[in-house]
Amino acid sequence: MPHTTLSTRPLVNYGQPIETELEKLAAIIAANPALAKRYPPRWLAIQLLERDDDLLAEVQSAGATEVLAALDETFNRLEPLFGADVDVALANARYRFVNNLVHQIVKTPANPTESLSDRVDRIVTNQWLGIPIFLGIMWFVFKITTDVATPMLDWISNTLAGPITHRTLALLQAVHLQNTWVSSLLVDGVIAGVGGVLVFVPVLMSLYLALALLEDSGYMARAAFVMDRFMHIIGLHGKSFLPMIVGFGCNVPAVYATRTLENRRDRILTGLLVPFMSCGARLPVYVLFTAIFFPQYAGAVIFGLYLLGILAAIGVGMLLRKTLFIQTERTALVMELPPYRPPNPPTVWQYIWERTSAFIHNAWTMILAASLVVWLLMAIPMRGGSFGNTPVNDSAFAVLSNGLAQTVFKPLGFGNWQNSGALVTGFVAKEVVVSTLAQEFNADNTAASRTVETTWQEDLRDTVVSFGQAAVDTLKTIPAVVGINLFPADTTTDQPSTLMETIRAEFEQVSGGHGTLAALAFLVFVLLYTPCVATLAAQRQEFGARWMWLGVVGQTSLAWMLALLIFQGGKLLGLG
Amino acid sequence: MLYQLLHEIEATPDTLSLGQLAAKLRVEESALRGMIDFWVRKGRLRGDEVGATEALPICSSAGCHRCPGAAQCPFVMKMPATVSLKRET
Repeated sequence: MPHTTLSTRPLVNYGQPIETELEKLAAIIAANPALAKRYPPRWLAIQLLERDDDLLAEVQSAGATEVLAALDETFNRLEPLFGADVDVALANARYRFVNNLVHQIVKTPANPTESLSDRVDRIVTNQWLGIPIFLGIMWFVFKITTDVATPMLDWISNTLAGPITHRTLALLQAVHLQNTWVSSLLVDGVIAGVGGVLVFVPVLMSLYLALALLEDSGYMARAAFVMDRFMHIIGLHGKSFLPMIVGFGCNVPAVYATRTLENRRDRILTGLLVPFMSCGARLPVYVLFTAIFFPQYAGAVIFGLYLLGILAAIGVGMLLRKTLFIQTERTALVMELPPYRPPNPPTVWQYIWERTSAFIHNAWTMILAASLVVWLLMAIPMRGGSFGNTPVNDSAFAVLSNGLAQTVFKPLGFGNWQNSGALVTGFVAKEVVVSTLAQEFNADNTAASRTVETTWQEDLRDTVVSFGQAAVDTLKTIPAVVGINLFPADTTTDQPSTLMETIRAEFEQVSGGHGTLAALAFLVFVLLYTPCVATLAAQRQEFGARWMWLGVVGQTSLAWMLALLIFQGGKLLGLG
Repeated sequence: MLYQLLHEIEATPDTLSLGQLAAKLRVEESALRGMIDFWVRKGRLRGDEVGATEALPICSSAGCHRCPGAAQCPFVMKMPATVSLKRET
């Protein structure tokens, strides 16, 4: 049975020229029983004008040659008026109809009440307030990260240095392997290296918790929006900031995320800026050094480093925009901002768990491998001694690292073989800087000289008791984060570890008494030099070897110059 | 209306939220999404979602390993979907 129309007058009027053509085409379709039986003629005519491939194929298979001929003629008559965009004219008419209908039917009050989300957005994404609010929130995130995680960090550190090392040594003693290179490998290689990084798991969990809350509540999208607009204002491609925000998690996917930029030059420019974003792997280095040199202002210093990374990216981006990337054009960007919502606890936990487990997996694979290589180089004698039993200053690692230390890092205030070696191994991944430092400064206290003076029962009791104390201390820090100091600081429990004391002493000694300045220069160097080989591989794959090498040289040069400026400038000004 | 949308995106130097664009064009956000989808299908606009990059092998002189890509990498933060003009590269 042929379709009948419910109304003689169609709801949507497509305008005179199209309506005339639709009428003619619909009449020809209506005259074809096979088509008229299946589809309303006017509807089919509209679909054919919109170049619906499936229906066109159906018309062809139905052998309706008169319809196809009429369609060609229709296009010939309409194309002078609409070009190839007849379908756009049709869709446009429909949207106009829908919009008019909505305006006629939906009654909007003269002064519509804003939703809570809109009201919050008016402040949070405000042109002038948006960036200060973003910076304030990030400062708070780092304060929470450092303050709340410290008791658990100390607990893991003490457990690794105490009970876990004791039990490993006791086990080695039981199998008659104490005072051998196996003992050194396990204690100085695996426990000191991998353990030195795993200590920072509570810090990372705190950071991931804060980021999960921001992301799940919908704020992170606003942060991207605000910073993106800022990038636009200073002449960089607005869309660049999205991959850069991804870079705060890990620089490797951030390099791949540049694919969302259409222009190759924009992709390269953004890909060169991504490594300035402080990835999670750099956080353990920041936390360790701020705990040693800036214990009262750890959160503020870490926040400052993240900010410096953003500023460096903006500065370098503007410079490249005016030199190598002049031709790139600016394009507008529309962002879909999700409504605000209370964070969902299972989602937040999943976010924390996925990231933390990935970090731990990384520690047991790549960091373990790097630690073993460092241990091996520290076990090889260069100036006397035997394998696994050589003064660490005479090891292959010390001798190799010392050349770089004396030539490149001495003017920066941290020119000893330990720092030089840690920065070189940091090319593998930034966490390795910490694991290498832990191994280097642990090596003096060799496994051979260690004795086990505690029983396993005592170790177990210490572990459990100190965990309980750490949990209580963590709870005590929470009110202090928001400025409510309910519990006076207990200075007796905040004793720096041996590793921290050793690092401080070495920095003071190598910098000629300007340890704090040298440490700041070291942190800035870690922030700005090449993040890791995986990022380099991603850059090479996406942009080619030439751009990758330009990035390596540019970043390392900038890192060296800024570190030099901080150390030498600070000394001249009498700081530190 | 559809052309007005393109002109608005072309003429705006700033980053806009979908809500702001809807207010400028005086259309409902849901209708605007449909209009944007239309132009994405036509190839005049491009819609992107950072984090949608596929998995890729990364090779260097040190060997090859598999980057899980932004979509599966746990360190990738969820970024808002974006729309921009599609230009010839």
